[in-house]
Amino acid sequence: MKKNGVKMIKINSKNVDVFYGKKQALFNINLDIEENQVTALIGPSGCGKSTFLRCLNRMNDVIDICRVKGQIIINDFDINDKSCDVVRLREKIGMVFQKPNPFPKTIYENISYGPTIHGMAQSKNEMDEIVETSLKKAALWEEVKDRLHEPGTGLSGGQQQRLCIARAISVKPEVILMDEPCSALDPIATAQIEELIDELKKDHTIIIVTHSMAQAARVSQNTGFFHLGELIEHGSTDKIFKNPENKKTQDYITGRFG
Amino acid sequence: MNKNKEQLLNKRYKAEKRFRLYGQSAIFMALLFLTIFIFKIFSTGYSAFQKTWLIVPVTFDAELMMLEQNPSKEDLKDADYYDIALKSMADLDPNANEDQENELKRMVSYFFEREIKRELLNDPSLIGKTKDVYLTASDDLDQVFKGNYPRDLPEDQRRVTDYQLKIFDQLVELGKVESKFNLSFFTYPDSREAELAGIASSFMGSIFSILVCLMIAFPVAVLAAIYLEEFAPKNRFTDFIEVNINNLAAVPSIVFGLLGLGILLAVFQLPRSTPLVGGITLSLMTLPTIIIACRASLKAVPPSIREAALAMGASKMQTTMHHTVPLSMPGTLSGTIIGLAQALGETAPLILIGMVAFVNTIPGSPLDPAASLPVQIYIWAESAERGFVEKVSACIMVLLGFLIIMNLFAQIIRHKFEKKWS
Repeated sequence: MKKNGVKMIKINSKNVDVFYGKKQALFNINLDIEENQVTALIGPSGCGKSTFLRCLNRMNDVIDICRVKGQIIINDFDINDKSCDVVRLREKIGMVFQKPNPFPKTIYENISYGPTIHGMAQSKNEMDEIVETSLKKAALWEEVKDRLHEPGTGLSGGQQQRLCIARAISVKPEVILMDEPCSALDPIATAQIEELIDELKKDHTIIIVTHSMAQAARVSQNTGFFHLGELIEHGSTDKIFKNPENKKTQDYITGRFG
Repeated sequence: MNKNKEQLLNKRYKAEKRFRLYGQSAIFMALLFLTIFIFKIFSTGYSAFQKTWLIVPVTFDAELMMLEQNPSKEDLKDADYYDIALKSMADLDPNANEDQENELKRMVSYFFEREIKRELLNDPSLIGKTKDVYLTASDDLDQVFKGNYPRDLPEDQRRVTDYQLKIFDQLVELGKVESKFNLSFFTYPDSREAELAGIASSFMGSIFSILVCLMIAFPVAVLAAIYLEEFAPKNRFTDFIEVNINNLAAVPSIVFGLLGLGILLAVFQLPRSTPLVGGITLSLMTLPTIIIACRASLKAVPPSIREAALAMGASKMQTTMHHTVPLSMPGTLSGTIIGLAQALGETAPLILIGMVAFVNTIPGSPLDPAASLPVQIYIWAESAERGFVEKVSACIMVLLGFLIIMNLFAQIIRHKFEKKWS
């Protein structure tokens, strides 16, 4: 989004290197993410796009052998700094995974979990309201309003993924990371999620990793192309798809490899 | 070429057929052994649930009992019942000489005096009257009545004399011998006399031991498993600990018994032969079983659930306590029950810490001396009297029943509370 004609940068990554043990997975990534826009990360399998995504909410911490170097600055604050508290960070940066992973609890509990642990609701009414708005934003409310207290795992795949999106937005994050959110879904559910992504970018900055070139073209405003751990090219989606500078990008988006 | 292929195909079919046959015969063998085992136990043991009573007329003679006129309840309790008990047995044969009177007395258990006393205490108006009283038959006559005793042995090889058999047969003819459900098998503690021996002491001993074992092993094991699986860094040291836990599970149980003997009894001076010591010793044995079960079920919780919680901003601790641990509980609990069932059937370590002692009181707490069911089986199996043979099988039946119930419970927990994740 442009304010006074200037692009607002939400996330600013500088010289990010990632290592799994001795193997280097990302090389010197410099990528700026625009606020309230959808940024798509594309590239062949194993190119490091998911690894980069997981750097942004420090989910790589979970992996013992993984080390991240470089700066990732969000709101003027380096999240790789020792003083950064991951709990606070992940409250601000939500994540939706490749496979829908609702908690094996009720739909209501799935949504209320985040607000509960972050102390965002003072009363049951407030919590009900958070649950309702989150589900409405995720375009799931109409389908589940009569069975909020049934298990979330009983929903269909597409509904489960929207439930996960509702869960992510329940804590009002500034950024939502999506790691191939539609790869386990059928075309109809995929279309619903894409529509939703478009809607969500009004309030959130979205970064989506996808294998589908068509999806990247449909939902994103900016695109970054990764190959073998390097960021080959990034820019507006229009430019990347219509007029790429790099030969590899050209080859990839025209389906010659990957 | 084609023929060769056909031969190969035939060979493959035959190999599969043979393999199925091996599998089926293996299952058949297993079932056969099980059936023989169960049949043997039941056919030997079922008669222990019946007890033979002699119905003997007893005259409550106030003079013989040294009772004053209008005795109080206390007087009745302190009265002398031995003489009337002896007299009523001797009266079964008015022509008996002194030796024969002695034999008559040995036809019933040494509880006969107590059984007569109980009768009078229930109904004090019996003084001066005669009433038929049920007296526990001696274990040998019990076995004779049940048909387990070879009557045709020469008299000097038998524990029942010809004279006793003659009187007994007369009583049977008169309908004065009755077989009833053996309640005392469940309510009496152990005894040297087979007809009076029961499992109350060892049953309570087992329950107390298991409770002590559960209270120690469960929290320690679950905390250890959660820490190792979720929090501990994966390095050489934790690998070493893991290997040792697995080794601990393979240590023969008698070694734990020696540990209990050497440390709990010798160093800490805990009371010998008690379920407290037994339970602590068993908990050492159960610990690795529960740790392994708990870690396995923690591992089985899909990583996606942990990621979901972490990505929502839950701390490591919250993720573990809110999601991982509750989801692992069904597996942990059924592992715990199976571990306890193992502990319940354990004999060797309990023998070493003295729970093999003869205990003829029923323990009221884990600090009282007690036996345990498997040790009771061991004690009775060692005894010479014929009456104990059926008791051994009956005790095995009780123990097996206990184990089956516990394993069933483990299954139910596993099936009922296990969550299905997509």
